[in-house]
Amino acid sequence: MLVSVDEAERKGTGLLARAHTFTIEGLHTRHVTVEVDIRAGLPAFTIVGLADAAVREARERVRTAILNSGYEFPARRITANLAPGDIPKAGPGLDLALACALLAASGQLPGEPLESHALFGELALGGEVRACQGTLAVAQATQDAGLGTLVLAGANAREAKLVEGVDVLVVERLSSAVRVLRGGPGDSPMQHVVEAPDARGEQAPGPDLSEVRGQHHAVKALVVAAAGGHNSLLSGPPGTGKTMLAQRIASILPSLTRPEAIEVTRIHSITGELAGGLASARPFRAPHHSITTAGLVGGARGRWVGELVLAHNGVLFLDELSEFARPTLEALRQPLEDGRVAVVRAHHSAVYPARFMLVAATNPCPCGYAGDGERCRCTESDMARHRRRLSGPLLDRLDVVTHLERDEAHDLHATPLTSSERARERVTAARERQAARLKDDGVAVNAHMDVRMLLKHVRLDANSEAMVRRARETGLLSARGQHRVLGVARTIADLRGSERVQPRDVGAALALRPESGLEGSRAA
Amino acid sequence: MRAGVRVTESNGNGACLSCLRRSWLLSELSAPLDYRCRDRGRFLSLLTLSDEDLVGAVGGRRREELQRAQAQFEARNVPLARGVEAVCRHDPSYPPALKDPGAPWMLNVAGGVERLHALATAPTVAIVGSSRATDYGMEMAKSLARGLAASGVTVATGLSDGIAVGALAGALEVGGGTITVMAGGLDVACPVRRRPLYQRASKAGCGLAEVPCGCAMRRWIQAARERILARLAELTVVVEAREGSRELAGAETAQALGRAIAAVPGRVTSPASSGTHALLMSGARLVRGPADALELLYGADAQTPGAPADARTGLEPRLRDTLERVGAGRDTPDKLASDAEDAGATLLALSELELLGLLTRGDGGRYVPRHGSA
Repeated sequence: MLVSVDEAERKGTGLLARAHTFTIEGLHTRHVTVEVDIRAGLPAFTIVGLADAAVREARERVRTAILNSGYEFPARRITANLAPGDIPKAGPGLDLALACALLAASGQLPGEPLESHALFGELALGGEVRACQGTLAVAQATQDAGLGTLVLAGANAREAKLVEGVDVLVVERLSSAVRVLRGGPGDSPMQHVVEAPDARGEQAPGPDLSEVRGQHHAVKALVVAAAGGHNSLLSGPPGTGKTMLAQRIASILPSLTRPEAIEVTRIHSITGELAGGLASARPFRAPHHSITTAGLVGGARGRWVGELVLAHNGVLFLDELSEFARPTLEALRQPLEDGRVAVVRAHHSAVYPARFMLVAATNPCPCGYAGDGERCRCTESDMARHRRRLSGPLLDRLDVVTHLERDEAHDLHATPLTSSERARERVTAARERQAARLKDDGVAVNAHMDVRMLLKHVRLDANSEAMVRRARETGLLSARGQHRVLGVARTIADLRGSERVQPRDVGAALALRPESGLEGSRAA
Repeated sequence: MRAGVRVTESNGNGACLSCLRRSWLLSELSAPLDYRCRDRGRFLSLLTLSDEDLVGAVGGRRREELQRAQAQFEARNVPLARGVEAVCRHDPSYPPALKDPGAPWMLNVAGGVERLHALATAPTVAIVGSSRATDYGMEMAKSLARGLAASGVTVATGLSDGIAVGALAGALEVGGGTITVMAGGLDVACPVRRRPLYQRASKAGCGLAEVPCGCAMRRWIQAARERILARLAELTVVVEAREGSRELAGAETAQALGRAIAAVPGRVTSPASSGTHALLMSGARLVRGPADALELLYGADAQTPGAPADARTGLEPRLRDTLERVGAGRDTPDKLASDAEDAGATLLALSELELLGLLTRGDGGRYVPRHGSA
């Protein structure tokens, strides 16, 4: 039912129209109702409701897009309100809703369809609709808000279609949006929309374990870490391949399950690091050691989501661990324990998922050659300082520690131990065993077992029991260390395909454990 | 101010005024002595000069000022920290080994003069070596000190990094008697990171310094303490030293005094042991463990309590095999695995040996055989 502007003016009431869209705050979407009121007065276009710069600039985009699409931009007093008024609105995704509400308020579009459609897209000056970040989150929110249809740009369509139960209508221009809202068909989906959602996964093989020559012990340790999701530390002199190994971890991890993939897509789509569609590879994040705490955890203005969260369901690789600022490393403790990170700032607070596998690499001493006979030039106080930097609560949370060694025999002629594909098969099989065993406990991998689960699932035979007891008695293991060793032993048994943990599993787990009392282990 | 007059007033110094003044004078002359100590032979003979000659030799521009101050010297010029006693060569409880002209005139003692006398008159072995020790060197120093201390031998060391600290820690593990000779005043010469070790050491043993409390660590004191260690010990064992290093010079001092010197061999390719090998070539005795050192002290038929005859004999063949291969230098899982098919069995053997206390983990993930486990 269209009401003419003049008629409304005679009655003294304005013309009101509403449209629905979403804004993204951190990882969370907030439902925004755009209300546009047009009434007599000096021509003006005001947007209220805690709009950020991108939203305030929408005025110019909306006005030009409407005019360039052949519609009329009323020369009256236009007030747009973004409700609720207390949450900040950010980003250009509100443009489309703003334009449609304005067209409805000025009688160029019926108002009713706007009540059941969510609109999300940025407008170009020519009237084209551009893709925006965070489509998956918006599509999920559309479903949660009970709106049946989501109208957005073609480039975003594939991502939005990952959410079942939401009709996705593709519009390439503002005029198409008007047609759609009048009940017409959407634009024809573009080429990439037809692709199967998972098609992107198979391309571009990443680095492969078969490129790693020698270092068999380290490769095995890495497979154990990957199989159980254990946090691990690679230590060794420069040039022994710590970084090379760590970069190959993602290639031996099992592929993402669909719920995991949705989570990863949602996060990476919001930060704009995904071209569209479902994420297929596990995230591998390797921030430089100059990273700040806010960069790692999130909570900086304009960057709510930190590297920890971006590594969710994937790998966080910290190269040169001892070079990271101490407070930054301390900030890792809560996420490593809980699998989530609570970010509280003056203007923002949220809890984000951060369940990642930590892989750290470090030199054994400041010069890098400790234990390598004469090459190490570090004094004992250098070593003590280095150990102090690494020690403490963070080291306590690492399950698997491997020392790489420089060995000329291991150079290019050495044989690779395994390929990524073979290793991934073993890891996947081990993870399936774990998942089956742990399905009632709400965790997926051995590394996340708590003490109660360890007691329940890690059954030791008499000999293994004796080994663990002896390790406790001789002070080789702390109580926490004991639990870690049990978890790793469980994983090694899983890799063997065995339900029983045997002495050889415990022995290997002990050999992979972090040094007990790293500080001052040499002297007192 | 005659020698032999005990000063008992004010701060409780149990040393005579002339010896106190000597110690004060040395600390005043620290700067020129630091310079002179680069020439060892002349430096040690410099320390045997009388007060007047010493001021004349190294006093330089401060000669007259020092002579005046010397004339007005009073016992309270020398501070004493809490728990520290002073004892001089005129005291009957002064260690007899130090009553010769080349030795310091007086000592500051932490832990009690009586205890020092008891420790110094017991058989004493000095363990010296590089401050940049390898894992092997640390392990040897510890096991040597452990075995000697368990047999009632006093272990004399410095408190510098590396071998000395390893030996001290080893001796303390079995609650043995130790004498720690410091390179500065007893209250200030201990670095913070060594404080727990030093405190344990001065509970059961003694700390010594020839300079007054408050005197900072000095190079000349480090050089001068070798003559104390060499005199205190019947036997000086060099565990690891590079060629031309200060530790070797300490052994030479001991040799010049007619004391027995011995060295622990290392791998011939290891520069960390090049000095000890040179010593062995020039006739020092070879020490493989506490038993050898005890034999040198007491003669061939000495009984060695707590000798490493223990755990190793009853080992399963696979464990003994692994232990031997680690001892032969295949000390990382990768090296061990390269000539064994089953990596899992290797790791199991390594962990079992570690649990038995026969292996320990050193830097860079290497396994080090533990010598004569405690």
